[in-house]
Amino acid sequence: MEVWNQLMLGFATAATPINLLWCLIGCAVGTAVGVLPGIGPAVAVAMLLPITTKVDATASMIFFAGIYYGAMYGGSTTSILLNTPGETGSMVTAMEGNKMAKSGRAGAALATAAIGSFVAGTIATVLVTLFAPMLANFAVRLGPPEYFMLMLLAFTTVSAVLGKSTLRGMVALFIGLAVGLIGMDQISGQARYTGGVSELLDGIEIVLVAVGLFAVAEALYAVLYEGKTAESQNKLSSVHMSKSDWRKSWPAWLRGTAIGFPFGTIPAGGTEIPTFLSYATEKKLAKDSSDFGTKGAIQGVAGPEAANNAAVTATLIPLLTLGIPTSNTAAILLGAFQSYGIQPGPQLFQTSGALVWALIASLYIGNVMLLVLNLPLVGMWVKLLKIPKPYLYAGILIFATVGVYGMRQSAFDLVLLYIIGVLGVVMRRFDFPTAPVVVGMILGPLAEAQLRNALSIGEGKWTVFLERPMSLTLIVVVLAVLVLPRAAKYWSNRRAA
Amino acid sequence: MSSDTALNQKSASKGQLLLGIGILILGIAMVVGATMIPSDAGYAGVGPDFLPALVGVVLSLCGILVVWEARSGGFRNMEAPNGADTGFWSGFAWMSAGLLANAALITTIGFILSCTLCFALAVRGLRTAELEEIGSFNGKQFAKDLLIGFAIAAPVYWMFTKLLAINLPGLTSTGWI
Repeated sequence: MEVWNQLMLGFATAATPINLLWCLIGCAVGTAVGVLPGIGPAVAVAMLLPITTKVDATASMIFFAGIYYGAMYGGSTTSILLNTPGETGSMVTAMEGNKMAKSGRAGAALATAAIGSFVAGTIATVLVTLFAPMLANFAVRLGPPEYFMLMLLAFTTVSAVLGKSTLRGMVALFIGLAVGLIGMDQISGQARYTGGVSELLDGIEIVLVAVGLFAVAEALYAVLYEGKTAESQNKLSSVHMSKSDWRKSWPAWLRGTAIGFPFGTIPAGGTEIPTFLSYATEKKLAKDSSDFGTKGAIQGVAGPEAANNAAVTATLIPLLTLGIPTSNTAAILLGAFQSYGIQPGPQLFQTSGALVWALIASLYIGNVMLLVLNLPLVGMWVKLLKIPKPYLYAGILIFATVGVYGMRQSAFDLVLLYIIGVLGVVMRRFDFPTAPVVVGMILGPLAEAQLRNALSIGEGKWTVFLERPMSLTLIVVVLAVLVLPRAAKYWSNRRAA
Repeated sequence: MSSDTALNQKSASKGQLLLGIGILILGIAMVVGATMIPSDAGYAGVGPDFLPALVGVVLSLCGILVVWEARSGGFRNMEAPNGADTGFWSGFAWMSAGLLANAALITTIGFILSCTLCFALAVRGLRTAELEEIGSFNGKQFAKDLLIGFAIAAPVYWMFTKLLAINLPGLTSTGWI
């Protein structure tokens, strides 16, 4: 019952006119960045991080959550109409939804994607409401050794499990860790790798790295390699689902949610595996699977979209209760919390209870807003795709400048931004993942502090990690995480083939 | 396999090799840097130099492995990169000029004008990339791009400085430009 009361208090905070307005703006901005190619939720939140210096914490977290959510709704629109998936999570939607759009059923595909996202998002939010406080209560008992192991788990999943190549994932992670090392050591105050440049003493801002790697790199990549890429856009048909569409979509949404949610919580899945698993499941369960991959089957859009949304919502559980981000956007959200001096973790529900519950309540509200923004108004968002590419990318650079310069008022940062942008182009050209860089950079300093605290507890002995049962369990989990997804992928590949 | 793709593959693996060497150098530099950090560990047993050294060593090892992959048939599980096989460097130069001019000028001519220039230069780069030729400089078009850039940068500036009270540099202290 306590959860219920807290949630109601959260609604009371989230439903004030000013917070509702932030939520609405967030959802609208999110949908726009989701629809627009070349810019995703992580970079949108990063570019807007400077507002954290002026806007109060609750309002801006509601705003950022709206962007995070909205981008998923908007992303499916682009996938279906343009066949350009913005992120791995919408790859399946792009495959199947685009087939549907090609055979004149774009409207039905958009509808099942939006309603499926709503159903999955809402169910997942209910589950977050129920489970996050429970996990937080449990996590209060964890000490530095356990935290260090949890962060090690996050590093492992993001670098070694999710990507295509463990080696390239490791390189990206350690580059992120290296960037995180620049500046003053938190414990001893010792300057590291600053090369005598005073601007570097405070470290490198996460905004700088995220905006450089995602926005500037995207623009530079476009001018270098994608000048002539021609895109054909599918026609939008009326957004309407027939009775048989509904009958086929419902079970797919629910199954997708059930598949997606656990993957988001365990910090081990990302969105790629659950969406593909959901697709394989739907294909197998369909009475007539001949539409899959040919004319496009509605279940093949409904299930994966729901799985994607459920997984993304579920990433809030490790983020809020353990302070561990498992996606790019979650890492930036962690950065947003940090710029308020708030460290997400088990104590968050006690220390910033009002904020967390308002945030969770705003997810319910945001889902409703997004359904309205995306179903009747989808035609408006599609118009955004008409912006000529040169203006779009050059415009992104203006916003990138706002984000980076607004954070620290340093022209030196703009030079660094360019350098990181070039690094991003090289990484993309050679197929290095970028998420590990961001996660490594944000979690690295935290992990280092936990490690040194843990070793202090163990009086300098590394065996402290083996002597504590929870820490030992986590070591086993890290090892399992290295092995199991590989097995699952192998299994689902064999299924899909 | 046509000789063209063979050539591309050769240049790609050369890039991979260079990248591996770069990672290795970065790793070694980090290890060297770590030796210059004092290692006062206190009770912890590991001091501020521990993680830098570890990161340096792992990066060096990764660099060696990347070199090895590059020399033995290229990166594993590599997805072919999107877009053209060769880069359109003159477009890249235009955009780079825009970004660096922005960094150099923002504090003197202010956010709006500096971003307007960056926008117009970047658009020029992207436009030539679409045509895949450098083309002659079209002054009228450039003026139009400057205007569009101004029409984006100015409201953005006003919104962030007036509404959200974020500090961005202006040309004058009026707060409008």
